[in-house]
Amino acid sequence: MILLESILDGIADIRTHMGRTMLQLVGVILGVASIVATFALASAGREQSQRFYRMSGGIAKIFIWNKQSGKVTDSARAAASKGLTFGDAMAIRSQAKEIDLVSPVISEQAVLRFGDREKTREISGVVPAFSPMNDFKIERGRFITDSDIQGATRVVVIGTDRANELFGSDDPIGKTVTINGTGYVVVGVMEHKFFAFGSGRNALRWMNRQIFVPVTTIMTRRGESLKTGRVAFMHVRMKDTKRAKEAVQEVEEILKREHGVTDFEVISRVERLKQNEEQGKMYDITFMVCGIISLFVGGIVVMNIQMASFNERIREVGIRKAIGASGLHVFGQFMAEAVLVSALGGIIGIFLGRAFTTGISMLTNEPAIITPEVILKALVFAAGTGIVFGVYPALKASRLNPIEALRVE
Amino acid sequence: MSILSILNLAVSRKVEKPSLHAVPERALIELHGIRKTYDSGENAVEALRGINAEISKGEFVSIIGPSGSGKSTLMHILGCLDSPTEGSYWLDGQDVAAIGGGGLAKIRNQKIGFVFQTFNLLPRASILKNVELPLLYAGVDSDERTERARQALELVGIGNRAKHRPAELSGGQRQRVAVARALVNNPSLILADEPTGNLDSKTGTEIIDIFETLAAKGETIVIVTHDPAIAARTHRRIRIVDGEIVDALPGEAVA
Repeated sequence: MILLESILDGIADIRTHMGRTMLQLVGVILGVASIVATFALASAGREQSQRFYRMSGGIAKIFIWNKQSGKVTDSARAAASKGLTFGDAMAIRSQAKEIDLVSPVISEQAVLRFGDREKTREISGVVPAFSPMNDFKIERGRFITDSDIQGATRVVVIGTDRANELFGSDDPIGKTVTINGTGYVVVGVMEHKFFAFGSGRNALRWMNRQIFVPVTTIMTRRGESLKTGRVAFMHVRMKDTKRAKEAVQEVEEILKREHGVTDFEVISRVERLKQNEEQGKMYDITFMVCGIISLFVGGIVVMNIQMASFNERIREVGIRKAIGASGLHVFGQFMAEAVLVSALGGIIGIFLGRAFTTGISMLTNEPAIITPEVILKALVFAAGTGIVFGVYPALKASRLNPIEALRVE
Repeated sequence: MSILSILNLAVSRKVEKPSLHAVPERALIELHGIRKTYDSGENAVEALRGINAEISKGEFVSIIGPSGSGKSTLMHILGCLDSPTEGSYWLDGQDVAAIGGGGLAKIRNQKIGFVFQTFNLLPRASILKNVELPLLYAGVDSDERTERARQALELVGIGNRAKHRPAELSGGQRQRVAVARALVNNPSLILADEPTGNLDSKTGTEIIDIFETLAAKGETIVIVTHDPAIAARTHRRIRIVDGEIVDALPGEAVA
């Protein structure tokens, strides 16, 4: 009950010192607003990159690239290594227990012709696993099939941008397009992919520009055998993302056995995500420190003004003590005031932070997310500031000697 | 010099109401060998040098003495604003000299009502809120606080000003408010420090009239003053010089 009265007393005091209270509020408001804004932008960024990963095949994806060691001391066997081959892909598929999808890709420049249109474009030799691997679905017709691979058929599947480029508004399915002088039948058109990190540019545009043919068709035309056919890169998918390390290790061992040297690089998205998270944490900490510094400044304002308020009220404290207020009563009265102002500042700060966030978001086209967690954090920080910086003046007031306090004019 | 014979006079004035508490019955206030030393570096100042006194329930007493005599220090100790360096102070059956800071606040709240020379009202609070304040710290609920504060204001003849702020009142009216605040929690002792010091003589007399009426109703009142005319109206005066009681006489004897 005394506490409630102290709070009411505090409110009365806040009302009688509007100017002073406003200063105090501004300090806390700005601190909280900047915390809200930075957290909102940071968490939005993280959300986005996770969504991007989901849209392009998920985090179970492992990338395998060729890597030239380039060392003079390379053994003859290493020098003779042709890099990643289709044989490697087959070896991984048959041997790796941690892997459930293998998608080798060959890419090369080719001249495409349809009617009177002629374009030089990159084409990709792929296997049916490419589609589930990259979460890239067929929109119309069909994708490359196992029988296409076995028969090295002359079929082609195209992305939406290429469909527009070559066929305009015509239906491409069933049409024959000439690639490097040989006719290929268009059997499918891929779905349209779109993902923007806020700036509006489609980060998945490369997918809409794909031209897929069976991987074996390219190898056959190059005169390479299934086993030794060189591939540009491979994607493999791990069965369990919790066993990312084991999966990467297994793939590395198989490839090393096949090649004799480490002329490849294996990177899993899980690892990359971890790196990103780590980086994200750095950002979070930076933001947090900035926010805390602003709140700290706000806190100093609170303390300053509480000290001024204390100096102004020494005599009042003396009177209260003389008629029976204990140190705790006085402490409670001062604390109630500091915490009230800070909490009020916190609430206003959240709204201002929201306004900041919306403003920044509109200016930079970056999305921002204010989660309940952000709001809770900001409020706790604000009230905490009030408590931490209110303690000293309140303690000073509570310890005042009533005799000396009453002497103050 | 012995003052015991005179103090015995006071003891004989003890209230007749039989005590329900333990025997032997004590006076409301008993001071034994009270010393107060202010340590300021090498030269310690002895403000009080062995005060022995008793004040019974219902007595109307004045403490007089020149400035620097130690009467303010004695007043602070009587009012539990300060603790003696040495000696014991029994107030209403409790040795308050042994009680520390937090406990003293409670004693001040429940056993003592202060009236100051400069009134010491909270300027931002209404008269009613000012008088309610001791009850607030005593943990009395809101309705009862208002009721009792109104009664106390009626008692000092200022019930119609409850909603006003102190600044809107005259000095005499403010001091009445202070008296009401001192009374409101039914203290064992009302302590007044130069209560007429900031008032003209007519208003001052009115305030002393109020004290007299309260004393007649059985309140125990101690007034610290340097004004012999006021001291003369009390039942007994205790004169302090250089931290010692030099003289204690019935008020009428010096009038």
